[in-house]
Amino acid sequence: MSRIERRENRNTERYASRSSRAPVLTLAAAACLVLLPSLAGTAAAQGKATELSKVVRLNRAPVNKEVLQVKLPRPEVVHLSNGLTLLLLENHKLPTVSFSLWIKPGQLADPADLPGLAAFTADMLREGTEKRTSDQIATEVDSLGASLDAESDFGVSYTTVAASGLSSSTAQILDLMSDVVLHPTFPADELAKYKERELAGLEQNLSSPGFLAQQAFHRVLYGDFPAAITSPTKASIQKVTVDDLKKFHDQHYVPGNSILGVAGDFQSAEMRTLVEKYFGGWSGAAEAVEKLPDLPAAQASKITLVDRPGSVQTYIIAGNRGIRRGDPEYFDLAVMNQVLGGGPQSRLFLDLREVHGYTYGSYSRFSADIYPGEWQALAPVRTPVTDGSMTQFLHEFKKINDETVPQEELEEAQRAIVARFALSLEQPAQMLNSWLTVHYFDLPVDYWDVYPKHISSISASEVQNAAKKFVDLGHMQWVCVGDRKQIEDVLKKYGPVTVVNAEGQPEN
Amino acid sequence: MILSLTTAALPADVPDVKVPNLTLQQTTLSNGLHVILVPDHSAPVYAICITYNVGSRNEHPGRTGFAHLFEHMMFQGSENVGKGEHFILIFNNGGGMNGTTNSDRTNYFEELPKNQLDLGLFLEADRMRSLNITQANLDNQRNAVQEERRQGIDNQPYGRANLDLDNLVYDNFAYKHSTIGYMSDLNAASIDDVRAFFKTYYAPNNAVLTLVGDFDPTEALEKIKKYFGTIPEQPAPPKVDLHEEKHYGERMEIIYDPLARQPEIDMAYLIPPGNTEGNYAMQNLAIILGQGESSRLYQRLVKDKQLASNVSAFANARIGPSLLYISANPRPGVKVEDLQKGLDDEIAALVKDGVTQQELDKAKTLQLRQDIDRRRTVLSTAVLIGQYTVYFSEPELINTIFSKQNGITVEQVDAAAKEYLVNSQRAVVTTYPAANENADAKGAQ
Repeated sequence: MSRIERRENRNTERYASRSSRAPVLTLAAAACLVLLPSLAGTAAAQGKATELSKVVRLNRAPVNKEVLQVKLPRPEVVHLSNGLTLLLLENHKLPTVSFSLWIKPGQLADPADLPGLAAFTADMLREGTEKRTSDQIATEVDSLGASLDAESDFGVSYTTVAASGLSSSTAQILDLMSDVVLHPTFPADELAKYKERELAGLEQNLSSPGFLAQQAFHRVLYGDFPAAITSPTKASIQKVTVDDLKKFHDQHYVPGNSILGVAGDFQSAEMRTLVEKYFGGWSGAAEAVEKLPDLPAAQASKITLVDRPGSVQTYIIAGNRGIRRGDPEYFDLAVMNQVLGGGPQSRLFLDLREVHGYTYGSYSRFSADIYPGEWQALAPVRTPVTDGSMTQFLHEFKKINDETVPQEELEEAQRAIVARFALSLEQPAQMLNSWLTVHYFDLPVDYWDVYPKHISSISASEVQNAAKKFVDLGHMQWVCVGDRKQIEDVLKKYGPVTVVNAEGQPEN
Repeated sequence: MILSLTTAALPADVPDVKVPNLTLQQTTLSNGLHVILVPDHSAPVYAICITYNVGSRNEHPGRTGFAHLFEHMMFQGSENVGKGEHFILIFNNGGGMNGTTNSDRTNYFEELPKNQLDLGLFLEADRMRSLNITQANLDNQRNAVQEERRQGIDNQPYGRANLDLDNLVYDNFAYKHSTIGYMSDLNAASIDDVRAFFKTYYAPNNAVLTLVGDFDPTEALEKIKKYFGTIPEQPAPPKVDLHEEKHYGERMEIIYDPLARQPEIDMAYLIPPGNTEGNYAMQNLAIILGQGESSRLYQRLVKDKQLASNVSAFANARIGPSLLYISANPRPGVKVEDLQKGLDDEIAALVKDGVTQQELDKAKTLQLRQDIDRRRTVLSTAVLIGQYTVYFSEPELINTIFSKQNGITVEQVDAAAKEYLVNSQRAVVTTYPAANENADAKGAQ
């Protein structure tokens, strides 16, 4: 898979708490009940089953009513003299170690005429340093059985450099990681090859319904705000120069802008010495935070149809702008989303799949960063039931707006979020990520300790208020990727329709 | 101590790391259910996985896709669990779950906080004992499965190529047809098919229960006996012949794909079954060829010659004859024939000159890392042990796979390359964007 393609997958899945994407060949060979959390009959072939299949609760299974109380272990926090913040989280179950470096800023800082600059810079880190060629880096990483990836996801305010491997090669991994972060040279010949791969990857992405849907959705949701951009353009790939990359790197890749997290099998004192050795010579104070442009006013609700001739499904997304990570409404939105579309036990999945059989899966999700992220619901549905699916989406959106959530359903949603903490305890890299979030967004140090209490305190009326604000039918943006010939007239029943092609150009 | 630390005997060039050895406590209940308990107290969670010895290899012509459709029916309710209630019970109690089907096995698994041990056992036992089958639920899940096929294959570029490649490279029906199945076969599946399949394959004596995580093994075994012990045994299901007759020539197909914007080459070579010396050798070979940016195909075709925009290789390990896949997209402007020649030249060079010790060590280190990562969670450990048991009757492979992989030599890899990387053992599917069908497809890009 090309790097652009991989980025697209991360992009569409970045809201999810756990994500996995099997290689395409494996996908064809194995089939699952539910594809979590991404968007991974005959009687009903016409779209209408003779009899509806109903969800039934017998309440006979033995359930322990107590929620297992767990506490996320806190990392040791070290502030190095060069301004780098270091988080150390020991976990000795397996002989591996993982590093995650968050650097402010990311793609939101891209110049308007060079979308993708932060991503190009991150992608090119591995393509050569003062000491190593691109091939040497690749061979060293693979020989250690390690991984080393830098990425700047679209819509995210920071860049990440992640490395992991066997704990027996901790020093070599740190050596490589610090080399690509501190001393990249962005060789011109490697940049030329990278551009060819990116151009091919961009073309490849335009055949993916998920990519087209997210691209159109972000454009209508954010207008000229940077979060509207979900990929580089042909022009920006062709235009970017070695100097652009060097300038971006020199300005932003500084310890004052960065947090380094380490999780796994190591001794904290030794790790601190090693990090001092490899990152101690890095210098640069934190930059003043650049003010983001104002968000344009939210548009009135409409439907954007992305014409993809030959499609046998319509990929539907509906959503609104959401919240910043530090907003107090985070908890309200989290609970509301859990009720509506957080998993296979939520309303959208049970309605669109288990009762109506329109889709393999329907979910909702939200993102939150330093700007109001998005809340979105989605489902790929077979073309003939586009109409029925739009109706059921609307039905569920209206219901959560107009009716308070029954107390039992509310408590179950809260319990689902709180009880899940136990499972995260066996994922050191995931726990580390939770703490990086706290430090990056300046959340209180006891954030994860009191998180269950916050979630549990949300009332049914607060859920309804969150629905009114974030499942806002008046401003809801709908995107449908599918075969225009078959779905345009159907969609017109639900609102004004604008038709665009894969590149986003209007079609008449 | 439950996890005893043993040092795997590895040569200096492959990192010398301590891989925790897992202690497997195995029991067979009187009804034939194979139970494997692996206590692991590193986190307050546990996972249960029931692996049934049935997959799409057991299907008959006219009913392709049935094993997987049946898997969906296992979530439609049983005597004491309503349709959809399984999802509600697991996720609302902080857990995770899924069911998956491939050619060789079907598995069902849950991961939950440790105080919900009874819940996972009860849910799995109830549906092994009693499935609640209705026409409305069958029609509903037929729809869900057909959407799964559309979402994963029919509405994706190259979806067709992936199905046709398996169809082309195998003659034996067991692996020749896809797990997801033909739409017409899914339409033909009836309630009677569901009942018969349940009775034949979903018996305790055709399943393995793996339980991994934070529990007391004595108490857990008592609970397992209580929930599963009285489910009746059934006659052993018929065996499936996976034998593949010798091939006498390369197989080729061209697809014009309306959803593709660029051409793609997909190849598959027949290789030996999983957990054999030949398969382990080919696993290493696949990594050397096409995994990681230092791999041969990436370095030569993507970086040096710039014929491809991306390339990958992957070998699977099935019960029967397995496959080494290679997939590549030409760089815009490059002719498909030139990329095909580039691939063929690299494979020919590897067969002629063999691999180096350094390349093999690199491949082994990568596998070591991947195998350790698969032991990260109690869930993936439970799934793997269940799979090793059903595939190879070898649950201890969870511990021994490290030395088996590490024992492979350069000579073995070279011999395997000469024997299996030959054109008469392969199939090639070339996809062109449909827009090129009536144009000069040969020169398409």
